[in-house]
Amino acid sequence: MASTVVTDQVTLTVNGQSVTVPKGTLILDAAKKIGIDIPIFCSHPKMAPVAVCRMCLVEVEKMPKLQPACAVYVADGMVVRTTTEQVQKYQKGVLEFLLINHPLDCPICDKGGECPLQDQTYQYGPGASRFDFEKAHFDKAVPLSDKIVLDRERCILCWRCTRFSEEISGERELALIQRGVHTIIGTFNDEPAQSNYQGNWTEICPVGALTSREYRFISRPWDLDRTASICPGCSMGCNIQVDARHNRIGRFQSRENLAVDDGWLCDFGRYSFPTFQRQGFEAPRVRQDGKLVEVSFEEAIAAAADGLAQARGAVAGWASPAATNEELFLFQRLFRQRLQSPHIDHRAFRPTWPDPDPDDMTLPIADLERCDYVVVLGGQEVIDAAPVLHLRLFKSERRGVKVLKIDAEQGARAREWVPADAQAVGILATVSHKKEATDLQAALGKKVKGSVRRLLVVRGPNGRGANDLGILPNFRPGYEGLNGQSGKGRAEWGKGGIGAAYIFEASPLHAFEATEDERRWLSGLKTLVMHRFRASPLDDLAHVIIPGRAFTEKAGTVTNMEGRVQRIGRAIDADAVPDDWMVLQAIARKLGAPWDYHESSDITADLLDLIPQYAAVDRGERVLWSERT
Amino acid sequence: MGLKPVLTKDFGTEGLRQLDAYERTGGYAGYKKALSEIKPDDLVELVKKSGLRGRGGAGFPTGNKWSFLPKGMYPRYLVCNADESEPGCFKDRYLIEESPHQVLEGILIAAFAIGCNTAFIYIRGEYLPQYEALESAIEEATAAGYIGKNVLKSGFDVDVILHRGAGAYICGEETALLTSLEGYRGEPRLKPPFPAVKGLYGKPTVVNNVETVANLPHIVVNGADWFASMGTPTGKGTRVWCMSGHVNRPGNYELENGTPIRELIMEHGGGVWKNRRLKAFQPGGASMMVLLPEHLDVGLDFDAIQKAGSLAGAGAMVVMDETTCMVDAARRYVKFFHHESCGKCTPCREGTFWMSNLFDRFEFGEARPGDVDLLLDMGYNIDGRSFCPLGDASTWFPRSVIKYFRDEFEQHIAEKGCPFRKETEAAVAVA
Amino acid sequence: MPLRPDTVAKIQDYARRYPSAQSAILPALWAVQYEQGYVTDEALAEVATHLKLPPSLIEATSSFYSMFLTRPEGRHEVMICVNAPCMLRGADAIVAYAEQRLGIRDGQTTSDGAITLRSTIECLGACGGAPMMQVDHRFEENLTPDRINAIFDHLRTAPAFHEQPPAEKKPARRTPTVSGEITRSGPSGARARTRKASK
Repeated sequence: MASTVVTDQVTLTVNGQSVTVPKGTLILDAAKKIGIDIPIFCSHPKMAPVAVCRMCLVEVEKMPKLQPACAVYVADGMVVRTTTEQVQKYQKGVLEFLLINHPLDCPICDKGGECPLQDQTYQYGPGASRFDFEKAHFDKAVPLSDKIVLDRERCILCWRCTRFSEEISGERELALIQRGVHTIIGTFNDEPAQSNYQGNWTEICPVGALTSREYRFISRPWDLDRTASICPGCSMGCNIQVDARHNRIGRFQSRENLAVDDGWLCDFGRYSFPTFQRQGFEAPRVRQDGKLVEVSFEEAIAAAADGLAQARGAVAGWASPAATNEELFLFQRLFRQRLQSPHIDHRAFRPTWPDPDPDDMTLPIADLERCDYVVVLGGQEVIDAAPVLHLRLFKSERRGVKVLKIDAEQGARAREWVPADAQAVGILATVSHKKEATDLQAALGKKVKGSVRRLLVVRGPNGRGANDLGILPNFRPGYEGLNGQSGKGRAEWGKGGIGAAYIFEASPLHAFEATEDERRWLSGLKTLVMHRFRASPLDDLAHVIIPGRAFTEKAGTVTNMEGRVQRIGRAIDADAVPDDWMVLQAIARKLGAPWDYHESSDITADLLDLIPQYAAVDRGERVLWSERT
Repeated sequence: MGLKPVLTKDFGTEGLRQLDAYERTGGYAGYKKALSEIKPDDLVELVKKSGLRGRGGAGFPTGNKWSFLPKGMYPRYLVCNADESEPGCFKDRYLIEESPHQVLEGILIAAFAIGCNTAFIYIRGEYLPQYEALESAIEEATAAGYIGKNVLKSGFDVDVILHRGAGAYICGEETALLTSLEGYRGEPRLKPPFPAVKGLYGKPTVVNNVETVANLPHIVVNGADWFASMGTPTGKGTRVWCMSGHVNRPGNYELENGTPIRELIMEHGGGVWKNRRLKAFQPGGASMMVLLPEHLDVGLDFDAIQKAGSLAGAGAMVVMDETTCMVDAARRYVKFFHHESCGKCTPCREGTFWMSNLFDRFEFGEARPGDVDLLLDMGYNIDGRSFCPLGDASTWFPRSVIKYFRDEFEQHIAEKGCPFRKETEAAVAVA
Repeated sequence: MPLRPDTVAKIQDYARRYPSAQSAILPALWAVQYEQGYVTDEALAEVATHLKLPPSLIEATSSFYSMFLTRPEGRHEVMICVNAPCMLRGADAIVAYAEQRLGIRDGQTTSDGAITLRSTIECLGACGGAPMMQVDHRFEENLTPDRINAIFDHLRTAPAFHEQPPAEKKPARRTPTVSGEITRSGPSGARARTRKASK
């Protein structure tokens, strides 16, 4: 692959322009460096060259045949020409070939407008085809799975999706079947594809062969409003682009961040967007005489402030690990300063939780590739908690990293497995198995010569931010202890002494999820405020319901599992519903707070004053606490 | 020049397929000599010196191919290419059928020379009787101690795995053959890396044709000079030519390289059948360009045939008499390439499909003016643009036919059908 | 229908025989076809299990090669080459004669299930003996109508290739040779139009 470490530089010319690149660079990439575009279909920067589509053939002096720029490495003194008459005539020829068995149904194809085949046909292709026979026919609209629809006529057999299945996800689920002009792609026996990474197939498909069921016939690409954001699916923090049309979410697309997602998304995250689709206006409600009645936002906020204040500090606050840092920052200030309550939490129910600390993220995601041994403590459980990690692990394995996936209880096996001369060891685990991870880290730290680092997968797109900002009964923002002033955590709320609760359930994907005991406890409260985007099972216990905003309807920052602070963008206007931070501010103002924020970015500024480390957000970097390795 | 039975010298000997008869004709003497007297590196030098060139089609010098294996990298593999599928070729089948041990002995010598402990024979699926012949030869040779651990106390370990294909011409291409042998679809691979560096299972690998390895026992026994004394300066030794088509005596003929084509067709083949005139002939098999009677005095030799405008390929000689419809001949080959295109690259996959449709149009009387130029233009877009030589070669015969017999295409257009078919049908009716 | 234990044992042997179990796919598929006459999806999945490989890979490979049958066909397979060298020696007339004799078209199976007839553009390696056919992968060369009659008569009653006990498979089964000239008999205009560009 092109990425081998080389120090030698070579100089070549492309269309008369000189360019110097490292040895081991492909002609395609050398040309790109000086702004010369060579058309491609099969080539993909993350996959080994295959040179099957033959679109990128160029002239190379001293070579008798045209050469595939996507597969030929540069050499010193090489003379490449990409726009000669021969190349241009051939480009027309190969596009004519590609189109003879392509249905040309662009007017009804989802890919139209962002289709490399369409674009390159316009740029390099012939105006008309000389093919006047019946095209080869294949199945159309094949349900490849519940997520993907396959059109076998549109497929140009570039092998990107099958190579993804082999080289990127390693699942080897998609394959080429039959041969010659009859070749198709498919799963074994056309059984539904099981992969959790299928959406990526649609993004790398250079034609409209693989499309997302959820996006079928939804929009033309040029009608989409595109907003950069972060995937709300888990704590991985994959970068996405929210594509919306007429103020409705059309799809989530990946927005490559090599340090985080490497350009990929999992299907859980990608296809979570219907969860965030707004279903019309919902009025706030307040319980009067046992019944929930519709009120204005102002009335609901006043009722919430009243109810919470009346508990005189005996009030519990739960904020979702999907809330933004700005919201969480206000949330903890509201509780600690205005409600005089340290009883805040963001975690799922569990009798005890290990305390978080900055060492939980000393291993950046991208560094998995640079370890020589990685222990996935918990195996599939870890992958399920952050599915895109699997792609990074598989990539690392292909590059020679040894990866051991074991149950969290099998730390002893991992201690045996990692040899003493290991240079860099990584441990991945979910936060539920922090103890096992730290025990293993300590043991390996004694055994091996090199570094041993860990990365804990937390819950929610901002689970790390919730820890950093002290949405915990025993830590202030920045992991500062409370000197004996600790409040009660979620597990203790039901044990008495709590009279009211505010549940800020920002995302349906990371909701409160009450246990039976918790429901019983919640139903006995004098005041329960539910501030949430989507109807919650707890609504029937609530005294005040304040509809909130969806993840896609707000701006702010979230912090991923490795401590990288990233911005989410407002893709959908929801002006009829006050922004979640505004609700928090309004409640606080009712309780006498002098807050006067106008934008969530104003809050970010205050947050940076409190936690200067968060300035990393402007550099796209990870927050470094007191990083030890 | 002329007939020179080297490989075929003992063919016809009763029971030659069996080990004892093969040994009575001097079989395995070369292997024993190599194991006991010659160091592997010297064996490579010997083959280099003999000037033996690969008989599979490309004619690459065999000794050089062996010496490209990177030093010190093991395991390394030898694969004998018995995937003979080129239309017009049936010599490997003949060599295996008549004397499987000769092929096997050649493989064992090559394996010893390159330091390979596991050799493979990839034989096409359609050659079932030949598969069985090799299977029992391997059994016999194993029982005789020629295959196994520490062969004849020489310290050389060798295993031979016989692998049967399942119907795919493309697997004759060496990288596709390796891909197929690894259990994948038989699609060719990018070169570089060449098989010598990264071949079967990613290890250094040599792929040699059946006829190539069958020469080795004779070179070892008789020496490089003996071998180099036969043939032409750049084409040493003999070749087995597979003659088919309109000759009186089709079949395999082993001739010294350089023998004129005229001698092969007119003498050994007994001339064109039915006292008809020769119209054209095609050396090398389906892939190669057509030649005309004026080329009859060209020698049967890689370089001479290339100079005449065709290629010797895998040693086929398809003879066509004056009644042959050249358009239909080209159509058959194009349909063959269309059928056998693996589908990996665009020009070959789509181009052979389109050409095949166009040729049918000529055959069925629907061709239009401009179709010949369209064929030529398609040839331009396929040849040299395809991933492997299959696509390139699909255009060579049709384009050479257009070059020499363009009027036949025009006739198909003008007469709305095949001008030869009427004659053929009339002949059939008379019979 | 699950594979027989002896077939499974063979497949497992192949997996051990090669440096990589994946190389055992083709031999395994041959073993399946020898046992069952064709290769079902169910068998592909079973091969995948025995070789510990993803089933998609087995299907990808099996579907690439033309000799694996995917549905039951006649007890015997008759393939007549119509590539150029055979065409030169009258293969089209032989196909036409075979079609007439069997009362079926290219690609069909006789009503008694005995013979599936196929003309093939894939050269079978007997150009020197053209016109030729392969009967259950055995060569029959220098065909004449009489010889074809003899072959077909024999096949009508012979057991299917995959149902014969292994011992009978080894010796090449030769049908009696009938001497005669290669003729060009058969209905006129019989040039097979069935090999039009495939869709």
